[in-house]
Amino acid sequence: MNSRSGIVIGALVFAAAVCLPLLSRSLPAIAGPYPLAVARDIFVYLALAVSWDMLFRSGQVSFGIAGFFGLGIYGAALSSLRFGFPAWLSILAAGAFAALVAALFGLVILRLRAIYFSITTLALAEIFRIIFHNGGDFTGGAEGLIMPSLISNSDSALYWVALSAVAAAVLASSWFERSKIRFALTAIRNNELQAKSSGIGIFKYLMIAFVVSSFIQGVAGGVQLQIYGAASPDDSFDTNFTLLPLAMALLGGVHSTAGPAIGAVILGIVSETLKLKIPYGHLVVYGIIIVVVILFMPNGLYGLWRGRTARRADAGRGGERRHHGGPQEPGPGTVGAEEARRG
Amino acid sequence: MANLETRALTKRFGGLVAVNDVSFDLSRGEILGVIGPNGAGKSTFINLVSGIYPPTSGTIHFNGRDVTDMEAHRRAALGIARTFQLIHPLEDLDVLENVMIGFLFARRLSRKEAKRQAEALCASMELEDLHRGVAQITMLETKKMEIAHALACAPELLFLDEVMAGLNAEETLDLIGLVKTIASRQNIGMGVVEHVMGVIRELTHRVIVLENGAIIAAGPYEEVVNDPRVREAYLGGAL
Repeated sequence: MNSRSGIVIGALVFAAAVCLPLLSRSLPAIAGPYPLAVARDIFVYLALAVSWDMLFRSGQVSFGIAGFFGLGIYGAALSSLRFGFPAWLSILAAGAFAALVAALFGLVILRLRAIYFSITTLALAEIFRIIFHNGGDFTGGAEGLIMPSLISNSDSALYWVALSAVAAAVLASSWFERSKIRFALTAIRNNELQAKSSGIGIFKYLMIAFVVSSFIQGVAGGVQLQIYGAASPDDSFDTNFTLLPLAMALLGGVHSTAGPAIGAVILGIVSETLKLKIPYGHLVVYGIIIVVVILFMPNGLYGLWRGRTARRADAGRGGERRHHGGPQEPGPGTVGAEEARRG
Repeated sequence: MANLETRALTKRFGGLVAVNDVSFDLSRGEILGVIGPNGAGKSTFINLVSGIYPPTSGTIHFNGRDVTDMEAHRRAALGIARTFQLIHPLEDLDVLENVMIGFLFARRLSRKEAKRQAEALCASMELEDLHRGVAQITMLETKKMEIAHALACAPELLFLDEVMAGLNAEETLDLIGLVKTIASRQNIGMGVVEHVMGVIRELTHRVIVLENGAIIAAGPYEEVVNDPRVREAYLGGAL
């Protein structure tokens, strides 16, 4: 997909998201607070899935999403309860808090690679949980904190707040995709030696990706606090906030903005539907989806679609096309063209 | 004064001395051959000079500046570029984007300017059809892309680690011609690691021979290949 059609599709989706609350007010069939409540949950997960992918583009797999999300929830709660921040500012403070902690730990853990990095981020999330669990009166201990007042109790207002987290994630992710950062992260993922031998400061770019993605996870936490009105150690740092965004990104297609977003919308709707029909059974379906995706379409739904459009364009142009990598490549058209050239 | 000077450069991996007390100079415009049996320390030597790992002892100076402890990406920006023995194209980028990397990061150009210059560089190397993926190009094109990737860093010195390996005779001649042209036109100093003695003879002004990490002979090609120690250690009765 070229960048222009990407922008068009993105704008259309965003317009649809903007229209949803208006629609639900005017059409009783899908009306009421329920679709909006589902939508804002999905938005929070969508921001988490996209932000996880931003770091994954460097090849680093974080299992610490729940950790920085939880820091965001507590960052927002503490900044407004203890320091009197207004709600909107507490959401930004949540992002800043998560980003600051990421920067400090990043100095050490961004020297780790592969599974060592992943396990360490998982451990960090657990450490954060324990710290807030044992933080005494300041953090509310095991019971956590309850917010006496929120930004608004209106469903559509909360919807807008959640949509702003999505906007932050999507804007940051497209900035990554459209700048030098894409080259740096792709090079680091493909081959670190080659990358540093061509002048890429590996640590600098890993730090940028880690801090920015943690900022978004923190903002998503700040939004979550506005939606649920409480911060507790067990709910805020729940591993589902790591696992579900990861599954969403894998299903939709990694290394892109659109992929994780598509995955979040699909899995969000599927799990909401299943939750009502087979309580807890939706987790089984999640597991099955992950297995099927990894086995049969490692580039996810978006990767599948992108591969197909690229192949169609290829047939039209007689061999010249952009390569997107991945197991479904190269397309049959390209192989033929290559042989013709060599022969 | 030479552009690059190493003094008593040594690298140990545990009990193994991979590079042992190597002192050498390399200047712009000069092509230096580095030969020796497998495991002699040729690639380790390049890794030390390009900053992939730090030496155990010894110093490296580049244009009078001590770069012994400088990180690899800073050395690339300063003008020391290299290719890899095991080729490492970036598989999720197309040919043009691979070549753009050095322009973007070592030279810090904008994306637009990097793209323009990468296209010009590829054209000068007869690399075409630049939007192909790196899995779809021939071995010769891959080698050219690797060299272009290194040249994009605007090197004063370029180290080529067995860049001819895997090419047939005709392609090798093609690439030798290209490397010669680049070295003379851009006045780049080169360190060429190669097993194909014909390439060393065609390309280099001077040769050093490594065995067990140490320099056992240095001098012009004809002199070095007739050195009895070199014949013993590396060439055998082949010549």
